Order: sequence, then structure tokens, then C-alpha cells
Amino acid sequence: MTRELLTGNGAAAWGARLANVDYVPAFPITPQTEIIERLGAWFESGEAPGRMVTFESEHSMITAAGAAAATGVRVFTATSSQGLLYGMEMLYTVAGWRAPFVLVNVSRGLATPVTLESDHDDVLAARDCGFLQIHCATCQEVLDGVLLAYRLAEHERVRLPAIVNLDGFHLSFTREPVEIPAPEVARRFLPDFDPGAIRFRASKPISQAVAVLGGGPYSYFRYEMHRAAEEALAVYDEVEEGLARELGRRMPVVEAYRIEDAEIAFVMIGSFATKAMAAVDRLRESGVRVGLVRPRLLRPWPGDALRRALARVRGVCVIDQNLSLGRGGVLYAELAASLYGRPDAPVLVSFVGGLGGRDICPEEFFEMASVTREAVASGRAPEPRLLYTARELREVRKLQSVALAERHETAPGASRRGGR
Amino acid sequence: MYRIRMHGRGGQGTKTAARILGSALFAQGFEVQDAPRYGAERRGAPMDSTVRAARTPIYERGAIARPDLVVVADETLVAVPAARVLEGIDAHAVLLLRSGTPGEVWQQRLRIDGPVLTLSDLPEAASATRFVGAACAGAAARLVPGVSREALVGAMGSELAGMSGSLRARSLEAGLAAWDAMAAHAGCVREGPEPSPGGTRPDWIDLPLDEARVAAPDVHAALTSVQVRTGLWRTMRPVIDPDHCKRCHWLCGSLCPDGAISVDPEGSVVIDYDHCKGCMICVVICPPHAIHAVPEARACEEGEGSR
Amino acid sequence: MSENVYRRMTDLPSTHLLGGGTAMCAGCGGLQALHQIYDVMGEKTIFVNAAGCMTLLSIYPFTPFRGSWLYTSMASAPAGAQGVRDALDILREKGRIAAEDDLGVVVLTGDGAAYGMGLSSTSAAIDRGLDFLYLCYDNEGYGNTGQQSSAATPHAAHTATATGPSGHTGFKKDLFGLWVANRPRYAATVIGAEPLDLARKIEKAGRHSGPRLVLALAPCPTGWDFDPADTVEIGRLAVRTGIFPLKEYEDGRVVHTRVRRPRLPVEEYLERQGRFAHLFEPVRQQAVLDAIQARVDAYWAAVE
Repeated sequence: MTRELLTGNGAAAWGARLANVDYVPAFPITPQTEIIERLGAWFESGEAPGRMVTFESEHSMITAAGAAAATGVRVFTATSSQGLLYGMEMLYTVAGWRAPFVLVNVSRGLATPVTLESDHDDVLAARDCGFLQIHCATCQEVLDGVLLAYRLAEHERVRLPAIVNLDGFHLSFTREPVEIPAPEVARRFLPDFDPGAIRFRASKPISQAVAVLGGGPYSYFRYEMHRAAEEALAVYDEVEEGLARELGRRMPVVEAYRIEDAEIAFVMIGSFATKAMAAVDRLRESGVRVGLVRPRLLRPWPGDALRRALARVRGVCVIDQNLSLGRGGVLYAELAASLYGRPDAPVLVSFVGGLGGRDICPEEFFEMASVTREAVASGRAPEPRLLYTARELREVRKLQSVALAERHETAPGASRRGGR
Repeated sequence: MYRIRMHGRGGQGTKTAARILGSALFAQGFEVQDAPRYGAERRGAPMDSTVRAARTPIYERGAIARPDLVVVADETLVAVPAARVLEGIDAHAVLLLRSGTPGEVWQQRLRIDGPVLTLSDLPEAASATRFVGAACAGAAARLVPGVSREALVGAMGSELAGMSGSLRARSLEAGLAAWDAMAAHAGCVREGPEPSPGGTRPDWIDLPLDEARVAAPDVHAALTSVQVRTGLWRTMRPVIDPDHCKRCHWLCGSLCPDGAISVDPEGSVVIDYDHCKGCMICVVICPPHAIHAVPEARACEEGEGSR
Repeated sequence: MSENVYRRMTDLPSTHLLGGGTAMCAGCGGLQALHQIYDVMGEKTIFVNAAGCMTLLSIYPFTPFRGSWLYTSMASAPAGAQGVRDALDILREKGRIAAEDDLGVVVLTGDGAAYGMGLSSTSAAIDRGLDFLYLCYDNEGYGNTGQQSSAATPHAAHTATATGPSGHTGFKKDLFGLWVANRPRYAATVIGAEPLDLARKIEKAGRHSGPRLVLALAPCPTGWDFDPADTVEIGRLAVRTGIFPLKEYEDGRVVHTRVRRPRLPVEEYLERQGRFAHLFEPVRQQAVLDAIQARVDAYWAAVE
């Protein structure tokens, strides 16, 4: 085992390498491209025994990933944002093939407008498709998360593909200390892929993914996927025990930071949750009883674990780095459903921020805590807030004054007839 | 926690400099987090990297609002607002500029209370650009307490492993020369205070509803790009010698990728220095060799090429 | 039809329409071709863009165009172009816009989309006889994400995903041939380093209606690893070695517009670029160089 500075992308590549992946269908997109470049270089040099094939689009890439998994090899792929959405049809399709593989999503905001920077709209758009979802807050969690995802996805009681999400830029290009387990240790945790009965070979003909007629059969197959996804909750705990035993690190389904005597709690996913941890530490120093609850598993939704973590909390501050346009924060809505109707349910306060890489600064965390405490005191939550400052609006107004200006004649060159 | 920001132009090794410093700090037992920050930037455009180092796990992320050390690889960036070189600098921060101008002059010019240090170029200035990253890292490593020369050497070795042997050797040389040059200021960087509740509150607003005309990402104007002075990317400036120019504008004017060469109303071939990126294509293709390359810093001072 | 404007080099414009201040790399061969093309096409155009380097031409609130622009997606720019063209036609027919307000529709795409996921929408647009100009700037890789291999990457080139001693194992797809098989109204290859040839072809394309496709080789200092000052020289070598044939397709025939005899050896083009450095150092890969030369020779043998 070595401890090195690795980017999140590097950690994802190491996770795939230690998982001894056989096949990597690939397509480049910012900010994940370093993952496939690293793996490609290792395959080329022979340091890792896999094969990479570049496809012409993510729709094709995801099709190939599912098809190869359904044939019987261990598959790894990676994408982001527009690429994840371009392949969305196939995410739903291949999940139903019940052939597991791991897709790393490096989260990036969605057009329009086009951006390269991070938020969670992309990965959350895939929350209904049948893929499991694991969310990482550190580069270490990315490496461990990939290995854990294979164990989870390939488990005989699950057999669904899994997305492992890391934030673009904040994790993908950021180096942090990461322990890289020795190959034999990783192998003890994650042995070779066993495709079970779902595979292609001449000696055992199989027609996979056939059409159905009738709501009864259709519902059966869909409900079974749902049951398997729910089963992944129990399997996650088993697998995580294995991670602790073999790799010496814990990744419980819900992280509960300084929650024991907390009066209020932040709820967040992803790398910005560590910023919440820093804010928790500062607030605690000034006497505020605050903690952080961070689900690592988003699909299946760990409702029971969240309820337990928040059992004695009076006010919950949900910070969504995503925005369901016309509805609000996704985590907020999902958490509210889990807490609805419970006696002594906490007040829920909703904030949306960090879209397209927008920072959430310490002062904003302190203010969100303050708003949540007021909500507890008054018993009433304020309206959901979209985090934005007067200074930011002034900056946009400056840009707008350029965008809405009259036609410029400052550049040389007379108008020329042409065009059509 | 030490919070360090390193600024440079794309291609000057700013990302590598941050990784060298980060690796050196990591080798000394710090917890480290380093990250480049860029978007649409290309070679020549301003970019920066952040390095954080602490004795406990680092939970903070993203831009550094209050740096303890700011390293600027290219002094011309100070004049570029988009580079935001001076952002968040207060009296406790150390500012290190790669510059021939003395630190005291910069202090006055920029009205900065804190220490301003300068790093002058090595003797082989002509090719120094390739080693700027190593030099910045070497200097920064000397200024941050707790980094040894051995750790710096090890970090340069691992981060520059992809370079050819001779280039790597010269980078090492540049890094160590910069380390030596900072001897008088060794360990001068101080950890800044942690943000705490009870300070300034965010100026949150409720975003007003704007009409779709302005609220869609549309530019209701033509040619607004001319307001972006990509001329600030230049490190070399092409200057036309009017005595030798044959006015065959159909060559230089067509072949300038940015369309920065045109004919003025008086019939002279002129270069739009607000937008010329200094690619030097015109210098190479001019048939009478009437265009010369001049270092931008000198051209700026001497008013070369402007009318 | 109007007379040819571009008969001699001196006919090339003395001032330029496309604005400076864009985020393209210094020395960008694609931008060089684009600004020459824009001078000929003029501002009564709408550029419909597929994801690639040139998506960053327009970053809010900045645009270099005197005309219009629409960014769509990586795969579907030709479909976006169809939608705009059809809507403009409807508006004209119904008298809701005047003739002077009409626009020429241009697709602007890199090779990543054009040689790959954009083929479906491009082919379908040709099937429908869409009246548009399709402009592909080809820097032989996925440039905007760091120069990974695309179907436009030439054999043996190093890219971010082909780093081994043999480089890219694939062969550059004949996109021009694919286009011609679809029987568009007009197709041509151009390069910014040959501005008169380019201007004549764009002018000719402008006199046709229907699908008109233009492929511009875009020497890329950042992706091909050479000094930006060499963009023109490398472009000229691409033509003079015969590696990038300048040709056009019209009325069922392909005609070469520049035929250099004798051709320069391909080596003179390859050795200027870092992406081919491994063919020369540390060991000269003579067999690979010979094979590249042989393929170019075979192409021209078939032409001549």
C-alpha cells in the first residue's frame, strides 16, 4: 500500500485498475478525460491487462458497456454531464439487462448554458434509471467507492450497474492524499467477475433483453429491478464491512459528522460536504450544536439510515447542488418524503447553491446554520432560497450591459454582402 | 493551514509549479490539496492553481479567498483584471513576483502593506519560460516553513519525470536556484486565521424575475468579442517595418488567424495590438521579412508598433 | 450568377469581418480558415455549432460574429440547421420576414462530431437536400478535451489516448469520400494556408443551393505539438506533400485544384510536428514512414 497525492480522476483510474477491469468503452468529455487517458496508457504499456475502445458517442459507449457486461466481462466506463444525458436512453436500457458494471460520472453542470464546472444536475437526472448511485466526497472515497461499487453491483442479490459520482474540478482535477491498496489486498476484497447465468457463449444459447407484451410481465420485470435496488441497502452494509476488514477504511451508507448532540444538521452529498464539515467545526467552536449528515448511497435511497441519523435533530438544512427546474432541490424533496408524517419530524430548510461550480463560502454556511436555528425557534421554515448575492448580480448586470448593447462599429471592415 | 495561490499564463507551468510545491509539502508530512483552476483558457491566457497544506485533514475546497502566499509567474498579469492576482491579499500575505523590478517599487505601485518579494530570471533568460514553473515552485518552497531542500528535489523529480533528461536537469537547476535566491526570506509565510461565524454576512438577495429576452444566454449584439483584449496573451509582439513592407496584405491579413492584420484608410498595413495573440505567423510568412518579433515587455515600454 | 470575385491573391479582402478577442489558441489553423471563410460568406449568416473547440468562440457576453449563432449539441447541429432553415423559409413564405432578413445557414463543426456522432444527422440533412453550408474544421482529434484520438486522427500520430510507441493504430477516415457518396450539391477541401484556393471554393459554394460541405484541415499547435508560428508552413506542407489533397466535388465529379509535382516527401510534414516525433526519435521508424508515403503515393497514382 502506498499513500500518494492523486487527483479524483487518478483515483477513479486506480479503482478500475485494482478491480482488474477487462473492458473500457470510452469517449472523451471534460472533466473526466484523464480517467480514460490513464487507463488507456496502462493498457497500452501492459501495466494493466484490459482493453480500451473509443466510441463515437456516449450513447454507443454505454450500449457497448452493457453489451460487454452481458457477454460476461468486467466493464468500466466514465462520462459526465452532456455525455451522460446523450446516453440516457441506454442507461435505462442496460440497467434492465441485469448485467452489472461500473460507470464513473464526473459531475458537471448541464447546458443550457454550456458550462464545464460542477454541480449534480447530471447525475441526479439518472436517479430513476435503475443504476445504483454512490457519491464521493474525497479522492480516497473515489478509489474505494469504485471497488465497493463492483462488489455491490455484482452481488447475486443485486445485479444492477452502478454509478460512482465525483465532482468535476473539485475532485476530478484536485490532488489529495490517497492510499492505494496493494493489488492482492484489493483482490481479497473484490475477486474476479462471475457473470453467473447472464453471458453469451455458443454452448449455452440465450436471448437477452427480449420485448414483452402485457402489463403483468412488464411490471414483474420492473418491480424486480426495484426490489433488487432496495436489496442493495442491506448488501451495502455487508460489503462495507468487507471494505473495513480488507482495506481498513469505512464508508457507511450515511456519514454522520458530530451529530450526537446536534440541534441542527446540514444534509449534503459530494465534495462540498467537506466544506460543510469545516463549517461545522467552526460553528461548534462558537457554541452552535451542529452536525452534518451525508448520504453516500443515493440509489437506493437510504431512508431508514437518514431517519436514524436525524432522529434527535430539530432543524435540518438541506443544501442541494442541483435544481429541478420548477420544483427546487432534489435532495430536499426526497428527504421531506422520508420524514413526512413522523412524530417530532424536524423543520426542513431548503437551500440551492453551488450550481455550475459556484462556490459556497464559509460565511454562507454560517448564515444557513443561523437561518435553520431561527426556523427551529419559530417552528416555521422560510421559503427555499437560491443562494445568490448582490455582488454576483452586479457582475451579471455588467455582462448583460455588453450582451444587450447596440451594434458595434468599432472593428474595421465594411459590411459585405454575401450569405445566402 | 497554509493557503497558497500560484498565478501564471497557460503554458508557463503554473499547474506543474503547484504540484511540485504540493508534493514537497506532502513529503514533509503535511496533508495537502492542490488544484489547477481553468476553464476556456488557452496557452498565454491567465490561469491559477491553489495549494493548501495543513497538519490535519483538509475539508476546505475551491478558490482561496485569503491567501497566505501568492506567487505570480508573469508580472504582466498584475495589469490583467481577469487574472485576479491581488484578490484577497491582506497585510499578512506574502506576494512573490517574478520580476526585475524591486519589491519596494511594487509595494508602492500596488499599495500593499505586506511583504512583496521578487524573483529575477536566471542567466539563460531566453529559454527561461520552460522552467518558470520549477522556479516558482522552488521559491515558494523556500518561503513556506517546514519544507526541506531534499523534499523540493524529490518533488521536482517526480513531477517533471515526463520531461526529457536535459530539460529536466535544467528545470531542477532553475528550481534550486530560485530556492537559493529566497534564502533571506526562508520560512516567512504565516498561516492565516480560519474563517469564523460572527463575521461579515453574505449579501444574499432574492433574484428578480427578468424577462426571457435578457434571461436567456443570448448576446443581442454583434462583435462584442472585440472588448476582450486577447492582446494581453502576448509575450512577443510582431512589429511591421513600414520601410520594408510591400503592402501585400492579402498574405499577412489572410493568414493571421485572428484577423488582426488589416489595411487602414491611409493604405498602411496595421496590426490590431488589442487582439494580436503573438503567434508570430506573420513574422514567419512575410515575404520581404518586414515584420520583426520584439519581446512584449520591451515593446510596451518603447511604444513599438503603435502609431 | 455573379462573376468570380477571387481570381488573384490581390482580390483577397483587406479588412476582416470576424471579430478578434476569441478564446482560440494563438496560431489556430481552424480560426485562420474560419475568418477567411467568414470574409467571403458575410454577415447574413447564422452559424449553427456542434460541440468542439469553436463552441468557445461565443462565451457570454462575447461573440465575434457580425451575424448570428446558435449552439446546439455535439451530435445534432445539422438537425438544428434544418430547423432554422425550415423556419426561415416558412417566415418568408408567410411574409413574416422580408427577404433582406433571410440568413444563410452554416453548420460549424470540428472533426470529433463530423467524423463520428454527427454523421447520422449530417447524412440525413443531405438526404433531405437541406440548403446549407457545412463547415468542418479538422484538427484530427478531439481538440477541446485535450486531443484524444478521433476517426480523423491519422495513422501513427500520438494523441492523449494513443501514447504508445506506435501511436494511433487507426487510419484517418475518408470523410470527403463519405460525403461524396451522399451526392451533395457541392463538396470541397480547403486550408487556411492557401487563402485564394479557399476563397474561390467558398465563393463557388455560395452560388449553389442545397447541401454544400467543406472540410478544412486545421493545423493545431496545441494538439499537434508545434510552435504557433509554424501553422502556415505546416499547412503548406500538408498540401505540397500531397497528404491533404485540395479538391472539390461538383456535378458528379471530383476535381483536384492543386496538384503539386513533384510532391515533397511526407517526412518534411511529419518531422515538424511533436505528435510524430516518435517516428524519428529515439529510433527512426522507417517502415512506418514508408507506409505513410506509400499510402499518399497510392492516392495520387489513382488520381493521376
